[in-house]
Amino acid sequence: MAIPWAIQEPAEPATTVPLALPTPSAEVRAFGQLRFRRFRWAMRMGLSGSRLRLALIMVLSLVLWGVIFWLCWDGFLFLRSAVAHTPTHDQIVHHVFGMYLLALMLMLIISSGILLYGMLFWGPDIPFLLTLPASTERVFLHKFQEAVWLSSWAFVLLSSPMFVAYGLAADSPWYYYLLLAPFLVAFSYIPAALGALLCLAVVRWFPGARMVFLLGVILVLLAGTAWVVRGLTGAEPGDLLTPHWFQSILQRLQFSQHRLLPSWWVSMGLLEASQPRQVPAWPVRPPWAESLLFLTLTISNALLFRQIAGWSGRSWYRTAYSRLHTQHRRRRQGLLAALAGSAVAGRLKQLPSTVIRAVDRFLLRLPIGARPIRLLVVKDFRLFRRDPLQWSQFLVFFGLVFFYFLHMRPFSYDIHHTTWVNMVSFLNLSVVGLLLSTFTTRFIFPAISLEGRRFWLLGLLPLRREQILWSKFLYAFGGSILPCSLLVLLSDWKLGISPLIGAIHQLTAVLLALGLSGIAVGLGAKMPNFRETSPARIAAGFGGTLCLVLSALYIVLIVALTALPSHFWLAFQTGQTFWTPRPFGLWEKDIRFWMLGGIGASILLGLAATAIPLRIGFHAFRRMEF
Amino acid sequence: MIELTHVRRTFGQTVAVEDLSLAIPPGEIFAFLGPNGAGKTTTIKMLVGLLQPSQGSLRVAGWDVVKHPQQVAQQIGYVPDEPFLYDKLTGREFLEFIAQVRGMDPKQAQDRIAYQAELFQLHGFLDQLTDTYSHGMKQRVVFASVLLHDPPLLVADEPMVGLDPKSVRLVKDLMRARAAQGKTVFISTHTLTLAEEIADRIGILHRGQLLFVGSLAQMRQQGLMQDKSLEEFFLELTDGQGHAQPPHAPVENIPLAAREGASIWGLPSASSVPPQEDC
Repeated sequence: MAIPWAIQEPAEPATTVPLALPTPSAEVRAFGQLRFRRFRWAMRMGLSGSRLRLALIMVLSLVLWGVIFWLCWDGFLFLRSAVAHTPTHDQIVHHVFGMYLLALMLMLIISSGILLYGMLFWGPDIPFLLTLPASTERVFLHKFQEAVWLSSWAFVLLSSPMFVAYGLAADSPWYYYLLLAPFLVAFSYIPAALGALLCLAVVRWFPGARMVFLLGVILVLLAGTAWVVRGLTGAEPGDLLTPHWFQSILQRLQFSQHRLLPSWWVSMGLLEASQPRQVPAWPVRPPWAESLLFLTLTISNALLFRQIAGWSGRSWYRTAYSRLHTQHRRRRQGLLAALAGSAVAGRLKQLPSTVIRAVDRFLLRLPIGARPIRLLVVKDFRLFRRDPLQWSQFLVFFGLVFFYFLHMRPFSYDIHHTTWVNMVSFLNLSVVGLLLSTFTTRFIFPAISLEGRRFWLLGLLPLRREQILWSKFLYAFGGSILPCSLLVLLSDWKLGISPLIGAIHQLTAVLLALGLSGIAVGLGAKMPNFRETSPARIAAGFGGTLCLVLSALYIVLIVALTALPSHFWLAFQTGQTFWTPRPFGLWEKDIRFWMLGGIGASILLGLAATAIPLRIGFHAFRRMEF
Repeated sequence: MIELTHVRRTFGQTVAVEDLSLAIPPGEIFAFLGPNGAGKTTTIKMLVGLLQPSQGSLRVAGWDVVKHPQQVAQQIGYVPDEPFLYDKLTGREFLEFIAQVRGMDPKQAQDRIAYQAELFQLHGFLDQLTDTYSHGMKQRVVFASVLLHDPPLLVADEPMVGLDPKSVRLVKDLMRARAAQGKTVFISTHTLTLAEEIADRIGILHRGQLLFVGSLAQMRQQGLMQDKSLEEFFLELTDGQGHAQPPHAPVENIPLAAREGASIWGLPSASSVPPQEDC
């Protein structure tokens, strides 16, 4: 064979390559080594290139772990002191664990289903893997393993402090902590496998209706949450912590105690392991043996579900992949028509696009910014609504908060106490802010990096670079202020907040939306990552972590600046306060001055948090080379 | 080696491939030609097992692609139109993974990797992470990976995109050499000269239908080409005319002063005013 530039033609190895298929164990080794090598390189690069980022992530994780641990520890101690009757105490903890694990199980089913949908059907490596002689089941399990890891690490991070806190509060023996890890790991496989089965089945049989299915799941989730919350809110004010109240609440949570629920097995197993060491009289098994039985049950079911998922992957995955990628794009629009009768079909089919076109036109005509900026905002809005990952997360989280706010008044214990009401209202404001900050970090911060990847397109258009950043800022602010303001308004309405405090809340909501958008856009432009294609990975990087930390700090400062003086002012007005009639020895006029000063300072802080990151971002973006 | 029988693939109502029957023997270089959207990539994706046919069957070395995708994959080396490499692996680690999945023992794998590294001149960068590679370097590693197991069938979708002239020459030589060894090469390309230069037979696909299959000599013998070039023949077959006429441009003038100022409000800024010439 003539090689045009090689000095010497290489000698082909004498051995012929076998065309036999790899053995299952060779496949397992190959894919295991692939995962290990990728992980090792990622760690090595993380340790050598961005130690600060790693340190920040570690410290933040530890802080988060510590805060959850402290809250749970305090809660369990309170419970122990409030409920002296041991069987009732155990029953309550059992229900708390059961409900917590059940809620997490539902969330893990959905999150792993969505993750696997992206990984199995749109992953960049999938066409490559499916054309290798590896078995379809192995390719599927490789992705399943990645999804279990991705969807479960947060579960372990959030759950472990609660269970460790309970172990310490209950003075549990050493093997309780030892059994914790296998219980959590085995448990996380079950919802992941169910999510995988659901994802495969939907794409295999209803590839055209997957969005309708996702929407349906979200609606069912929201309806279920509303039903549970409604069931919990029947207690009368004044009933709090009475035996009748406890029994009534436990009765309503009875559905979480079904014997076939994996959450029940884990809850039972952990509670058994937490019992003090004692040797009961034969034939009663000791608690550790009971716990091991539940662990065996959980592990065997986890393995069974994983096996079923693997078999389904072998049978359905290739067909599902082919069916999804041979769907006609217009099919989705036709689904509404198929569901409705032919008479209404046309109108129904037209309705979504008519509304969306009207929104686009409205955005284009807004008297804000130059036309190119508005065009870019409309482009981003189109990308948002066509990306189910973005709008579904937005809908789920804001929907859950909406339902919580909607049912807040009957949930209150002492609604008439102004101090409580005021505190809850500002806490709600912080929750909305924190939720918003996760969205600006997850979706706005990476947008600049992703725009940079296709900068050749925007760079050739008659646009100024500043206009690209302004469009991102307007898009972020416009998209944040509406849900943020409406949620705060709902919370204030349900709590019966005074108009003055309501107005302060609205001002704070505007400041939050402005500042969080400014931080995300500014840092996104200052610290872009053009190598990465996945927005989730960009957000998980150092810049994204810094953005999240600064956003959280900003929320705490803004809310504290307005909340504390309002709180003391209200306490003065009504004479209701937890402390003394004169907090910190201040008079009413001092508090009023403090309140005005706090509002002024929060406005200044809001403007600074908007302008400074944007200025830094503009400066960096103008000089950036693509 | 390849046998397609009445293959049909639809995307909803759209027919991508219609009643395609084709047989390609071992030792042949077959070039698939066709305009964008003709169904070439869909056919290749069906051939390598990524998509399943709506009707008909595809066989590679006697194996049914739908029923035995693993056995088919072992016979094929596939270069897709958008090649993939793991960015957090070195080129060598990537090749080792391929070798493991293809069932090679470690000694065999090392020998084959060394041979391919020599052939494609990979030594300078094989132990670096692939996310540092240029497009051409990535393409060479991808070619090395698909030829690692010396497959009886090489399938390549637009194989020359992004390659420098040296690499193009190498790949062409490789294809000829493989055909000479009795192995089959199936390529899809827009580059008519490439097909003219190396293909034993050409298939012209248009709107999912195979309009012509045969060698250049057959075209001439049958009087199909007369004294036309392959390009003229191809355009005539796919457009219905030898010379595609560009559409009339709209007569309105497009303003070239669309660039707006630095301000968010679109007002002109100092930087948007053209510089004055010194007098």
